[in-house]
Amino acid sequence: MNDGKTAWRNIRIFASLVLIGAVMAPIFLSDASWPVTARDYLMAQGQAESGAVNLVSAIYLGYRAFDTLGETIVLLIAVTGTLSLLARVESLVSPGPEDTSSPNAKGFSLSLEKRVSHALRTNLLEEVTGKVGPIVLLFGFYVMLYGHLSPGGGFQGGVIIASGIVFLALGNPYEDKSVLVRPAILGGMENIAFLLFILSAMSGVFLEEGFFGNPLAVSGTPEGFIILMNCIIGMKVGSSLAFMCIVMMGGANHD
Amino acid sequence: MRPEDLVFATVMLPLLGAAFALCANMFPKGKGADTVEFIGAGIGLLLPLIVLANVFPLVTGGNAIEGVIGSWHEGIGITFSFDGLALLINILGYTVGIAAWIYSLGGGPRGPAFTGIFLIQCAALSATIMTNDLFNLFVCLEIMGMTSYVLIPTSRKAGASLASFSYLMVSASAMVFFLLGTYGLYRLTGSLSFQGIEAGLALLGSTQRILSLACLTLLVSAVAIRVAIMPLYGWLPDAHALSPHAVSAVLSGVLIKTPLFALARILHLLPEGTKIGELMSIAGALTAVVAVVIALSQRDAKRLLAYHSISQIGYIVAAWGMALRWGIDTPEGLACMVGAFLHAFYHALFKGLLFLSVGTTVDVTGERNVYLLRSSIASLKGRGERIPITFIAFVTGALAISAIPPLNGYVSKDLITYSLKGTVHYVLLSIASVGTVASFIKLSRIYWRGTKVAAQASLSTETTPYWPRLVAEVLLSLLCIAGGVASHLIIPVVSDLLAPANVIAIANANLFSTDSLVKTAWTVASGTLLFFAATSRPGSVVLRIVRERPRDFHGLFISFALGTAVLAGYLLI
Repeated sequence: MNDGKTAWRNIRIFASLVLIGAVMAPIFLSDASWPVTARDYLMAQGQAESGAVNLVSAIYLGYRAFDTLGETIVLLIAVTGTLSLLARVESLVSPGPEDTSSPNAKGFSLSLEKRVSHALRTNLLEEVTGKVGPIVLLFGFYVMLYGHLSPGGGFQGGVIIASGIVFLALGNPYEDKSVLVRPAILGGMENIAFLLFILSAMSGVFLEEGFFGNPLAVSGTPEGFIILMNCIIGMKVGSSLAFMCIVMMGGANHD
Repeated sequence: MRPEDLVFATVMLPLLGAAFALCANMFPKGKGADTVEFIGAGIGLLLPLIVLANVFPLVTGGNAIEGVIGSWHEGIGITFSFDGLALLINILGYTVGIAAWIYSLGGGPRGPAFTGIFLIQCAALSATIMTNDLFNLFVCLEIMGMTSYVLIPTSRKAGASLASFSYLMVSASAMVFFLLGTYGLYRLTGSLSFQGIEAGLALLGSTQRILSLACLTLLVSAVAIRVAIMPLYGWLPDAHALSPHAVSAVLSGVLIKTPLFALARILHLLPEGTKIGELMSIAGALTAVVAVVIALSQRDAKRLLAYHSISQIGYIVAAWGMALRWGIDTPEGLACMVGAFLHAFYHALFKGLLFLSVGTTVDVTGERNVYLLRSSIASLKGRGERIPITFIAFVTGALAISAIPPLNGYVSKDLITYSLKGTVHYVLLSIASVGTVASFIKLSRIYWRGTKVAAQASLSTETTPYWPRLVAEVLLSLLCIAGGVASHLIIPVVSDLLAPANVIAIANANLFSTDSLVKTAWTVASGTLLFFAATSRPGSVVLRIVRERPRDFHGLFISFALGTAVLAGYLLI
């Protein structure tokens, strides 16, 4: 009886896969020639219009900046949703107060280390991440600031900045040392970055360029706007990802 | 300010408001944070109304305001076009949005994060309906989806997170297919704008026809999931029933309709649009009937309302599909489109009202089961309603959805059935109306006097005030009544906004004719009969079978595959 049910279910699933595959097959098997209009236009005009040597940033911060705003909003909402989910999970599984300070808590540290905090870390980890953190941060800023010239940009730079912040948080045994790793500060930075993004997207209206228009379009240095947008996106992505990681590490409890 | 900047402000203002509201998070809880959050809500919900009032004279008579975001060249930038339809959907969205936000002040959820995400949802609605770019449409649909996935579990009801997760999985996989369709169309035409795709497809030879049909199929069925047309409705009842009441009102009222009308903007440009419209309208009419039967069998009050949303969206899709079938530039097609929009608008009002009033009732009594909850009026009085406003609001909504004159539901349903006369849809929709009457008699029993007196939930501990709930209910009730009484003023305006430039807008149809009134009387009488049949012993056995029919998660995917294949096959032959 049960076997029959499973078999019937598998048949249905198989049939639906075949059906969907049949509908999608023409898309994958197509030999249509690739469209070239947009490519040729970008080759000819992209750099002059947007000021960016890296045409990828010309597309995502120039021609299709509105889609980019959409993607940052998706990230913002995803982080908010994850945090509220985490808060609920934490309230369900969080151990009692006597549990956290237990000296016998199982950890990765060596028996000789005699750690006073963070049983799940080791001295080695703290030394290395603490020293590497600032360098990673610097590299993140480089990738973010040079996005208009070389591969990179706000999203990529922001992720590197976030990992730099996480390194800093891992690298100091008492998390209150650096302002940058406090969840409240990171959350605030994320909100301010979103506000700045909206405001800079609106700035073009006052110069007859329309929303998302480049206010520097006629100034001779149109790439300035792309650098600004890259910085804002980098701040937004960096702070929101770091915020989420630090909350997941339990940093919010020390607040 | 240029007109194209003015209309795009309907997207940017809610986003600015959302940014303000989210910044309220940084202030310590109290007066300061509340002030910032309220300023954000004012920017995001009230200023767009002023913008819409200013835009109105620019889009009448088939005019549209077109532009490219960022003033780039057409063909490389994102184009948008704000026409009469976009104006109407914006009015729909902001009306219900304002009422729902006011309600949330009393009924929860509260807080800057909620207000921020709610405003982002409003911005996404506005952007979805005015975009002229297929990839941008994808982004807007994603934002709309993301906001719903986050808002649904804020009710903290058991199962809400799971409902949100299953919505996420279904809708995210549907969006993958949407993206594939976009990719295919771009590859064929080298353009993402609707007009560019239309021009590109017209130039194609017959060898590429199969590819273009496959792409269109994927786009349409992905949107059909969002709109919850049979058989792709499975995610909706849980998501809408378990979310907070204010969110339910927006999800049911606004969110499921916007993608449908956005899809119409590309479909009416393509020759395949007529066939797609025809098939969708049949699916819509069937949806109306099937969903109302399931609704009648429900035990949970809000789940019953959620199934009614599916049933009513069936009406809208039936009229919408026939409008595409006949072409919006013909008088019949235009009448259908006016009916579809008006029903979408009026349904948003009365379904929002029903979700809010039933939500208040179940909160006050602490009981959601329709079979157990009785004498709710007494509980409402116990909560401080000297006049049972919530009960009056419920009656207004229930009469409107059952299409009793002179409420707004009568006008829009009559307009739809009037324009579909002589088709098979007419019969199906008439049957659905009977079921609607029966199930609302069933739902109204929660206010009847009964021996089982509902337990008073301990609402005295809640910190939020009660009055915002009543303000929102009164606001929507008044709009429901106005929509019916002033229909002779509204219909010409709507048809003028929807009519293409060269088509004369329809004159006022005689909605309150003797024929229609007699038909309404018959519907009510048969609905009452159906209600008694459903409460009889054999009736309740049948309903229990319907209620407890097996529903599983992968069934959703199987029906998606089936629906997609049927649509593709229908387009091919």
